Amino acid sequence: MQILLVEDETKVGNALCAGLRADGYEIVWAQTGEEGFFHANSRSFDLILLDVMLPGRDGIEVLDTLRKLGDKTPVLLLTARDTIEDRVLGLDTGADDYLVKPFAFAELSARIRALLRRNQSEPPSTLTIGPLVIDPLRRMVIREGEHIDLTAREFEILEYLARHHGRIVSRDMLARDVWREGSRATPLDNVIDVHLTRLRKKVDDPFGKKLLHTVRGVGFTLGEDPS
Amino acid sequence: MSGFIRTTLRSRLTVLYASLLAATLLLYAGGVSAFFLHNLHEQLDSSLTRDVETVEAVLSIDATGALKLTSHEGEAEHRERDRGYLLEVWSQNGNLLYRSEQLHDQALGPVPATIVSGRQSAHSLRLPSGLQVRTISRVHHMGKDKAVVVRLAVNEGPLWSEFWQMVLVLAIGLPVAVILVALCGYLLAGRALEPVNAMAHRASQITAELLNERLHIKDPDDELGKLGIAFNTTLARLEQSFAQLRRFTADASHELRTPLTAIKSVGEVSLGMQGDVSYYRDTIGSMLEEANRLTHLVDSLLTMARADANRTQLHRTGVNLYELSKEACGLLEVLAEDKQQTIQVEGDLHAAVLADQTILRQALVNLIHNAVKFSPVGGSIRIAVGESGQDAVIEVRDTGPGIPPADRAHIFERFYRVDKARARAAGGAGLGLSIAQWAVAMHGGSIEVECPHGKGSVFRIRLPRNA
Repeated sequence: MQILLVEDETKVGNALCAGLRADGYEIVWAQTGEEGFFHANSRSFDLILLDVMLPGRDGIEVLDTLRKLGDKTPVLLLTARDTIEDRVLGLDTGADDYLVKPFAFAELSARIRALLRRNQSEPPSTLTIGPLVIDPLRRMVIREGEHIDLTAREFEILEYLARHHGRIVSRDMLARDVWREGSRATPLDNVIDVHLTRLRKKVDDPFGKKLLHTVRGVGFTLGEDPS
Repeated sequence: MSGFIRTTLRSRLTVLYASLLAATLLLYAGGVSAFFLHNLHEQLDSSLTRDVETVEAVLSIDATGALKLTSHEGEAEHRERDRGYLLEVWSQNGNLLYRSEQLHDQALGPVPATIVSGRQSAHSLRLPSGLQVRTISRVHHMGKDKAVVVRLAVNEGPLWSEFWQMVLVLAIGLPVAVILVALCGYLLAGRALEPVNAMAHRASQITAELLNERLHIKDPDDELGKLGIAFNTTLARLEQSFAQLRRFTADASHELRTPLTAIKSVGEVSLGMQGDVSYYRDTIGSMLEEANRLTHLVDSLLTMARADANRTQLHRTGVNLYELSKEACGLLEVLAEDKQQTIQVEGDLHAAVLADQTILRQALVNLIHNAVKFSPVGGSIRIAVGESGQDAVIEVRDTGPGIPPADRAHIFERFYRVDKARARAAGGAGLGLSIAQWAVAMHGGSIEVECPHGKGSVFRIRLPRNA
């Protein structure tokens, strides 16, 4: 999978390149809008990560030109501006998704995966993580042959973690995708932590091996191996 | 100079007064002159009438039918000439019987057409020689059926010179009076407006650094006093918002500095240590936690900045307050359960207002979150939805320590904390209540707080129902 990253800030660019390469992507990094447009126009990518605030030609202009030329590569906009007008402008211009800085890398990674598999709609099949089996259709969780009784919210969290299995899920992702909370100003962190503690009590505590891990400062991950 | 007159209020007032006075005086002078002229004519006419009667007494017709002017002294014609009278006598059928020599065949008006007895009429007339005269015509019966028309005229010159003298006096006196009044008015206006200049001077000295200065007010009840009071009130509000801004900047930098200090010190310390992978993971995790705190803080500050700039638009829909309270409680229920607290929502199931659901919910969530945070383990939180007069009311009642009276006025200020150490440990930035208050104020409502019997606090949201 090849990703074009257009980002002018060296530090952020370096971190994103390193993180995405670790995720197994091939990265081309352009530091100006012109350079980004040149790359996007000269070869094909699976995805473009486009910063909006760029020196010279900004991200919206680049995107607009690409779309007018008929380029249908999925574009994920990165921006520090988060008013509704900014979002609407970005999406109207033809962006496929929108991520507001500062964002957690875990979230960026999840969005990229979502965009890349957008066309391959996967049916809600049974999810298996080691000894844990989750059935989204019947809303059932079984670990080592035993039924685990979960509340609706707990089930949603576990399913979300299972779908991002092996990767880190941030609190912001949970707040937005599970709680569907638009505003980051709503104090949900404590609420999420309490839910995770309860979930852990039901899913991990009665059994020997830990599956639900807290990654300090980032979020949570579900899997047999904490890293 | 004309620019100066237009610009100062003092000159404009003076010009206005003077013009009004001049107009009034002109009208008055015109009226007086007309009246005076009328009176002069009346006097002249009555003296002429008396003279006509005298002339009639000396008229006689001799045997040949010719007219004679004879008096007892026998010198009537002379007297008539001496006093400047001009005389014409016409017969009944329109024949001239007599005309004074001085007239030199100039007629004193047209030939009388019909003679109506007992009538007399007065006219002003300019003779072809240029003389302005006043004439009176009268029918005189001379026994039997014989009657003549006597026409007596006198020079109007003295009358007009008397009239023009008076007009001259008025024409000189009027501008003098207007100039005098204008001068007095200019002085008076200057005195009346002097405090305004003083206020302007003082106001110009008040700057952002000297906002504690106030205007001196002599009489708070007069117009200038009211202006001064209004200005001082504005200054007080300005001073207050400047103070708030300064405190906000100081508090905000303090709040931002706290996580930054943590990031720096944690990073620096672990760089100097020899640790294993898990140690470094922990260090980075701890730094990320602080970065998250910064992110939340900046998000909240952005929300408030948008609130200040009035950039938030409400998308109003019908919101059931009972259901909204239920939903907000459902969100935070888990925190209460964690502390073995009970949350109850009670009251009017159908209380509703037109409101922006997301923004109003934010206010409610913040209040309930505080209630859970400050109520002890095993405490209870009660939310009551109802109506009071024109308002819909939501009460959030907790069993926490309450709020000391001294702090109650400040709890809605940004970053204000009643118990500094405790609240920070609980993870708040001190913006929750400010955001709640803003959210409610956006809907035209208000939040009140009270602590009955010093046990627990009650936060009461009031929302106008007809907004």
